[in-house]
Amino acid sequence: MGVISVQGLTKRFGAVVAVDALSFEVDTGSVTGFLGPNGAGKTTTLRILLGLVKPTAGRATILGQPYVELTHPSRRVGAVLEASGHHPARRAVDHLRIAAVGAGLPPERAESALAAVGLEAAADRRVGGFSLGMRQRLGLAGALLGDPGVLILDEPANGLDPEGIHWLRGFLRSFADRGGTVLVSSHVLSEVAQTVDRVVIIARGRLVAAATLDELVDRTAVAAVQVRSEEAERLQEALTAGGAGIHHVDGDLVVVTGTTAKAVGRIAAATGIPIYEMTSDRANLEEVFLELTSSGGERP
Amino acid sequence: MSDLIRAELLKLRTTRVPYGLLGAALALTVLGVVGTILTAGRDGAPPIESTEAIRNVLGAGGTATIFTLVLGILVVTGEFRHGTITQTFLVAPIRSRVVKAKLVAVLAAGFAFGALASLVTAVVSVPWLAAKDVSVSLLSADVAVPVLAVVASAALFGVIGVGVGALIRNQVAAIVVALLWQFVLESIVVGLLPDVGKWLPQGAARALAEETLADGNLLPPWAGGLVLLAYGAAFALIGTRLLVQRDVT
Repeated sequence: MGVISVQGLTKRFGAVVAVDALSFEVDTGSVTGFLGPNGAGKTTTLRILLGLVKPTAGRATILGQPYVELTHPSRRVGAVLEASGHHPARRAVDHLRIAAVGAGLPPERAESALAAVGLEAAADRRVGGFSLGMRQRLGLAGALLGDPGVLILDEPANGLDPEGIHWLRGFLRSFADRGGTVLVSSHVLSEVAQTVDRVVIIARGRLVAAATLDELVDRTAVAAVQVRSEEAERLQEALTAGGAGIHHVDGDLVVVTGTTAKAVGRIAAATGIPIYEMTSDRANLEEVFLELTSSGGERP
Repeated sequence: MSDLIRAELLKLRTTRVPYGLLGAALALTVLGVVGTILTAGRDGAPPIESTEAIRNVLGAGGTATIFTLVLGILVVTGEFRHGTITQTFLVAPIRSRVVKAKLVAVLAAGFAFGALASLVTAVVSVPWLAAKDVSVSLLSADVAVPVLAVVASAALFGVIGVGVGALIRNQVAAIVVALLWQFVLESIVVGLLPDVGKWLPQGAARALAEETLADGNLLPPWAGGLVLLAYGAAFALIGTRLLVQRDVT
């Protein structure tokens, strides 16, 4: 069983089914993107996972237990759910001290957590004057107070400037590389595509895909791979022989469809053709995502 | 549990609202003392040297109950208004512990409000009464009863506030309803149905303070204390039940 395990989870709010028989697992030492359009049930799922919302049916566990049954939850799981969870008149350092004290942690953890997210200079400022990006960082600092092994983040990139998003990517990557487990939600695939190992995609409360990004790209026939080689002509022939469709050739650039980067790489290696640039078309990844999420909820 | 209580006390200390409420409570207490002393003996009010007048002067801190009621409401509704309830329940997912910690913190703050109001009352009134040749022994029952009543009522109204806040999580609505009750509705009930009114929270608090009303329609002090305690316990229970059950979305 994964570090995070969701089994047959269903949540109804009156007549609205927000989460519908959802099951997925998240493994240790990985960053998993939890994706879906707005209103797909991502936030509800994360809130059930954290014991804030009670499921109508099913089970959600972290480290083998429901969150409410974890001893010292702050030392095992860190979560950032919304940027607005701060009293505007409270100083940033006090906001974190309250969480630290309540969790039985030394209050000095507040300062070190602020330093970890680059907010040490704003420690004594009132949170009401913070930008959205600073509030996201403060939320992350709160999640890090107990030095947990699991991070659950709901749309953490919202309100971050490009520099902040870059910083967040690096942060999550190094957290997972040190053995941590991250579940991060987003409604934009491209936002997390560079960071995540796997994705769990939901639409209208239902699971539509749980896969690595490569597997996701492999699923689509229209995926395009752009390859640059000084032997473009030979490469084109080799690829065609391998069953791929050639979209067009332009100088040293070959645009291949109906295949994957992995397959192109193998053919190039097998035929000894040097290639010096290869990119999977990210726009197509986004197309896959849109296709999955728009059709996924339609099934009866 | 003690960690959560310390966290709740830290929450109270790190915004300015509780200090503002305390300042307002003390200011109104001073006004009450001054007003009671100045009007003593006029228009049928008991003369200043009477036991009743002295009790009314020393019970002026009872006005703090309004502010501890509001404080109790804010301690709950503020978390929902600012979304901090999410962090609070993440830190302590067993929610009944959070409510208990809030009740203890508000009870402690209520005691502090009541004690400070009584202190301010004594500082203003004792020298003034002495100047009027009315000597007040701080150890006599005439002094101890209203002072203890102020402290106990302030604490218990804070507890009631926590329950009201859990019942009506919208901050503005909760405060409006509570103040409307305190200043308007309860007076109407007392006016129309005094036998019902004496069982209501303020009536109970007045009985506890051995205040004297023109028509004398109050419970005995011990019964007033018990009724107030019962209100506190009932609201604490309702608050716990509601906060434990509801989804936090």
